[in-house]
Parts: sequence; structure tokens; C-alpha cells
Amino acid sequence: MIFLTVGTQFPFDRLIQAVDLLFDEGVMYDDVFGQTGETAYKPRNFEAVASLEKEAFDDRFRGASAIISHAGMGVITMALDHGKSLLVMPRQRKYREVVNNHQVALADKFEALGHILVAQDETQLRVKVEQLRSFVPRPRKADPDVVARQISRFLEVLDGTMDVP
Amino acid sequence: MSKEKLKIALVASAGGHLSQLCKVAKAWSDRSTFWVTTAHIVSGSLGEGSKVYVVGECNREHLSRVIYVLFRCLSIVLKERPNVVISTGAASGCLMCLLGRLLGARIVWLDSITNVERVSLSGRLVRPFADLFLVQWPELAKKYRGAQYVGTIV
Repeated sequence: MIFLTVGTQFPFDRLIQAVDLLFDEGVMYDDVFGQTGETAYKPRNFEAVASLEKEAFDDRFRGASAIISHAGMGVITMALDHGKSLLVMPRQRKYREVVNNHQVALADKFEALGHILVAQDETQLRVKVEQLRSFVPRPRKADPDVVARQISRFLEVLDGTMDVP
Repeated sequence: MSKEKLKIALVASAGGHLSQLCKVAKAWSDRSTFWVTTAHIVSGSLGEGSKVYVVGECNREHLSRVIYVLFRCLSIVLKERPNVVISTGAASGCLMCLLGRLLGARIVWLDSITNVERVSLSGRLVRPFADLFLVQWPELAKKYRGAQYVGTIV
């Protein structure tokens, strides 16, 4: 089962519809369950709900063979943490799906690093979904402790110098 | 100066900004901190006993919301008088940094990893007066004077 999720902040019908069409075209290789937000488009080929409680969401996520989603940092991080194959289609400003185009560049960067697959539009989705089947994400190494230490050092300087009443 | 005296405002919009700040804020659990975020739904995730202010969402496209959030932030800054403001963004983080700065706070900006090609609009507004300005892509540290890259949070 592939888990399709678009978050709950804004609708993203373009992706829901594109995934639905993949079934019509015979290129979707697995069942899909969707978390679609409040959407005007009702998928014909797979089961979908508007939103899921966190626990149900986590269960769907963990149990999925792969994830298809918008290029939100939350879902990208979660997929990398769980070692899940992820295919994203970035939300775009020109379709009023988001306030700026940061998802486009972010997705490209993470794809170049081997962490995710990216379809920049509906046409590319058809090709990328076939790659998703065998895609193995490259794990990501982050250093939050290094970042925290840099800020801590700054705070320690203030501890010594700042005049706090 | 003892650790307890420095008061730190931790500011992040609900979602990715907040989850990034949470990952580093654990390091300051022994300090005097309070949180400012944008949605009630996430305030429970910030740990029991944490002081949390919820200012509501705003962005550049809804000016009236920005003004409302600006006044919310102003009342928080006047009440709490933070010595340091640490933020990952977005708009409310920018407002808290600006108001904090006007009242003498030191500013730490930690730009979100989602900004790949250039620093966020909020970050660009804060950069001229930030005391520590961290980015999560090495290319951005080269592009902006004063910006530092030491690693990524996520």
C-alpha cells in the first residue's frame, strides 16, 4: 500500500487527481490510501480521508510500501527517519498551492542528494512512480547538536557579559 | 551571570519551523525560556511546564493579520522582556526578533532548511541586526555576509 499525503494546511488537488489518473493509465503498481485534506476532487481509484489523527497517520506511514506527497519538510524528514521511499510533487505558487516556490528548489536539492524522488509536474509523475518501486533512499546525516552547541556558545558569552537585572 | 537570569524567547511557526527549533532547543532546557508559536494545536508538544504564547498565523499576503500578530508580539515582548530571541521563522519570528531588538534583546536567527537558493524573506529582514545568523546550506553562508553554516538540524 502506498500512502499519499498532502498535509492539512492547503488543498493540493493537482496531486490527488494525478495519482488517480495513474490508475487509469495502468502505471500505478500498488494500492493507494490517501490523506487528502479538504479537497474538491474525489478520487475514483483509491480510498481517501480528509485528515487522520496523529496515531493513525503514523500507522499508515509506517505500514506503507512507499510515500507520495507534497514536498513539505515535515513529510520529507519523516520519510528519511523511517527509511521510506518518497516521491514528492512540489506545490507551486502559480497554482496558488503555496505562498512561495520554496518546495520546488527544496525538492530538487534533496533529490540531487539521493534522499527522495521528485516529479515537478503531473507528466513527470508517471515516470517517477515507476522508479519509486525500486528506489532506495540515501540516509541523511544531520547535526542538530553541532548547531545547538554553536548557539550555546553564543549564549555563554552573553551569560558573562550581558547586564541582566 | 548565572544561567537562570538570561531570559530566552524561542519563536517558531507551527510545522517545520517549530520542529527544527525543537531539535536544538533541548540543549537549553536548564535555562529560562518561553515559546512563541502560531497554533494552539502544537503548544502541547513543547513539553509540560513550558510557557507558551500562541500568536496566530500571519504572512505577507494578509496585512491585517500581520498587524494583529505584531501587537500580540509587542505585548509579549513588553511583558517578558527577553534578553535573547532565537527563531527559525517565519513571519512571527521576524516580528519577535524586530521587537525584541528594539527593546535590547540579542538576536539568533536560524534559517529553515527549506530555504535552499536564498535565505527566507523573514531571514533577510532580520539579518542586518542579528547577532548570530545561521543557515543550513553551505552555499547560503557564502552568499550572505555574516551568515554561518555549521551543520544542519534535519
